[in-house]
Amino acid sequence: MNSGDPVNPYLPRPVTIKKTAIENEAGDIKTFDLVFCNREDEEKFKFQCGQFAMLSMPGAGESPIGIASSPLDEGLVQFTVKRYPTGAVTSALHSLEEGSRIGLRGPFGNSYPMKEMEGKNVIIVGGGFAFTTLRSTILYMLHKKNRSKYNDITVIYGARSPGELIYKSELAKWEKQSGIEMVITVDRGDETWKGREGFVPTVVKDVSPSPEDAFVLVCGPPIMLKFTMLPLLELGFSPDRIITSLERRMSCGIGKCGRCNVGNKYVCKDGPVFSFKQIQELPEGIF
Amino acid sequence: MYSMEKIAAEIKESARDLISGKRVDLVIGYEKGSLALRSRPCFVSSVEDAGKLVWNSLCTNNLSVYLPRYVQKGPQKRKEDVKPVRVGIVAKGCDVRSIVGLVKEKQISRENVVIIRVPCRGVIDRAKVETQLKGNEVNEYKEDSSEILHLTTVAGEEKTFSKEQFLADACLECELAEPEDVDIRISGTAKQTFPNRYERVREFEAKSREERWQHFKKEISKCIRCNACRQACPNCFCKSCFAEQGKPRWVGAGTDLSNTMFYHIGRIFHQAGRCVECDACVRACPMGIDLRLFTQKMVKDVAEAFGYIAGLSAEEKPPLCEFGDADGQGLITTL
Amino acid sequence: MEQGIIKKADAGELIAVLGGKYIVYGPVKDDEGVSLSKVGDGEDITFEYSNFNLSPKGLFFPQSEVIYTYDDSVEAKESLPEERFIVFGIRPCDASALLRLDEVYKKSSPEDPYYIRRRENAVIISMACKKPCQTCFCTSVGEGPAAKAGADVIAFDLDDSLFLEACTKKGEQLLDIWSKLLQEPDSAVLESKQRQAASANGKVYALNSEGITQKLQKKFESPIWKEISQRCLSCGACTFICPTCHCFGINDEPCGSKNRRVRCWDACMFKEFGGEASGHNPRGMIDQRLRQRIMHKFLYTAENFGDVFCVGCGRCINRCPVNIDIREIITEGTQ
Repeated sequence: MNSGDPVNPYLPRPVTIKKTAIENEAGDIKTFDLVFCNREDEEKFKFQCGQFAMLSMPGAGESPIGIASSPLDEGLVQFTVKRYPTGAVTSALHSLEEGSRIGLRGPFGNSYPMKEMEGKNVIIVGGGFAFTTLRSTILYMLHKKNRSKYNDITVIYGARSPGELIYKSELAKWEKQSGIEMVITVDRGDETWKGREGFVPTVVKDVSPSPEDAFVLVCGPPIMLKFTMLPLLELGFSPDRIITSLERRMSCGIGKCGRCNVGNKYVCKDGPVFSFKQIQELPEGIF
Repeated sequence: MYSMEKIAAEIKESARDLISGKRVDLVIGYEKGSLALRSRPCFVSSVEDAGKLVWNSLCTNNLSVYLPRYVQKGPQKRKEDVKPVRVGIVAKGCDVRSIVGLVKEKQISRENVVIIRVPCRGVIDRAKVETQLKGNEVNEYKEDSSEILHLTTVAGEEKTFSKEQFLADACLECELAEPEDVDIRISGTAKQTFPNRYERVREFEAKSREERWQHFKKEISKCIRCNACRQACPNCFCKSCFAEQGKPRWVGAGTDLSNTMFYHIGRIFHQAGRCVECDACVRACPMGIDLRLFTQKMVKDVAEAFGYIAGLSAEEKPPLCEFGDADGQGLITTL
Repeated sequence: MEQGIIKKADAGELIAVLGGKYIVYGPVKDDEGVSLSKVGDGEDITFEYSNFNLSPKGLFFPQSEVIYTYDDSVEAKESLPEERFIVFGIRPCDASALLRLDEVYKKSSPEDPYYIRRRENAVIISMACKKPCQTCFCTSVGEGPAAKAGADVIAFDLDDSLFLEACTKKGEQLLDIWSKLLQEPDSAVLESKQRQAASANGKVYALNSEGITQKLQKKFESPIWKEISQRCLSCGACTFICPTCHCFGINDEPCGSKNRRVRCWDACMFKEFGGEASGHNPRGMIDQRLRQRIMHKFLYTAENFGDVFCVGCGRCINRCPVNIDIREIITEGTQ
């Protein structure tokens, strides 16, 4: 390619897996710490909370994964990936050891409305494994440079069972921290679980966050999203203050291949972050 | 004497009786298409709509491809919540064999299908008409009871032809044998003789290996991997086609010759003992690939090795599912 | 040079004077009819055709394209196309279709380097239509048989001569290369060209497509989708032969010791197009996919780019195995 040509958006940049960590008891959710092999690539990869990137596995394909690390972290980018037995890419990724090389393309998509949320209360609602970009957001807001920009931060996070909660060490840290209120729940506890039990939508009703001067970010499987929207609307949150992240099968990540097209939007380009108001305007149901 | 109108009238009457008598929920037949040389599938669920049904030599689709849809439940539906849909279906001889094949492979149940067997005397290949008329398009198609076609071109000329010269190759090589087990027989005599069965395959077999390979390569290179052949084929009902699997990926999606060849070889070999030569794949292909030669070769091999014709009886076991003393040994290779 | 005329018999000289610097694609006779193929010395060019089976989008957005190869070090080596080429003889509808692809691949950021390189390397000479087909409806979607959109040069077939008119700077530059072989047209030629254009315009099938984009906004829950999808085979033939459909997939295809990423055509009509690894498929039913294709073609792209993504070429009407006629959908959609 000539130096005058624009960057080829299809080419992945090489990265090395610096560290892997298993997040859940079942062992199929892992966090990967990735380091760019080339300095220029690292410098160009400036992202915001809520964006995703394509993890590129030689021989298997590519997968769009939300970025889990904070934009302020230096030197590495983190992704938490669930292995699907039918997924060629996630299976291949999970079998790799530290030191292996893969490819990374991105960052893609839009981001959570961090600027609009300044000066407001932020409620974060997450379900199961869909907590990755929310973690990025929490880390970003709690950073000493940013904490004062936001008012109260409340996190409601639930998983099917205690073993399925991810980022356990961070959850424990945040529970002890001032400046953030943590409400952790599980659908069903075990013998050692001393915390709350209940589905996330029910817990949202119990916690009853106030909609005044507040934004709520909700991420979870389609069924959880569907049932969480109702209590949030009943509590008085307006649809343009309820923010979520959609998922669709993606191939190019740049709004060309058509996979993720919903209405006149591309989830990879106009999303994945949408307000509930925008979702109501989409022709197809998204749940 | 072969009156299209008479046959169509009988089809309509059968459909009306079946629907009003609540023997079926739906009749699948043919209706007039949007172009002069097209008839197309039609789904009738009311007595009034039965008036749309037609019969002519343009009724080329094999309608049995739709039958498994009425057995499948949609997503989020529990098995108990699905009431079986009873379907009446207009079928030519080859189509009836398709239906029997689907019953045999447990894709549909016989009691939920009412087979309206129509006496077929062959259907027309549009491409042959286009070649004959040298690019002059047809505005109107009429066929009289002596099987003479009266075609009016866009320029206003009226031309007559005997249907014979435009019959599809599949019809010129028709198997002719039909299953006995049908529910309604529309009056009329189906075609009794077509002399050319397997002639083209034999000619092809007689060519040298190099010639055969070159011909296969040339034809298959035209493929754009649109999957029309597979979607039109009633036998291709797999929920997850081998060509679409990713883990492991058996065949790529592109038009690398090796990918395309593997796709077609796989699909055609999956038809062994099952293909009824309904020509659905050939007629669906937008690139005009000569698929018939290859599928018919498969049919001939099975007929010669096992004495088996697909779709004549639902009870007869498929040749690749069992063995018998009389089975030919020619297909076994020894190292 | 802005316009010129040359005898058809001398067309070969136009190619000769290029000195091999361009590959020329033009209408060439083959077994199937006439296709857009590499032209030799010009003797093989024919002017007797209505339109090519396949659209010319494959020259800019190939069915399969290796976008890069990489080895274990994951350093991707891209291969950008270098050849310069002339596309001669595509119809104005197909030339205009390229402008739609430009919206997606060139004007929408980020740019697609493979497509852009091919567009830069190509000169488009379209051929105005003398005689539209029954299935053409270009004038109903803002196109026309003598429209210049998308062409660098537009050619008119004036029986024994070819009239060439430059439409862009690139076109003028090409005609400059040919200036010694072209004569200045006299007023008789210009009149003849006008007459041909007007006559062809008048012959194109006209349907009411007024306000299709706005009206479709209310048609999401219309029963028409279920009705038409009853016979749809979900095959993807319409998508692959359509000059504006542009969806693709990127697959890994190992080749020997190298890994390749290959971009291949894909279709929203395919069941597995939106199928996710979790097993969830947002468009698992045929009516959902059919609706998506039509909505994307006539509504969503119009909302995003200001133009419907249909040029009225009529290929889908010709080739759909079950005669789904997009004109009927448009007519229903505008009610």
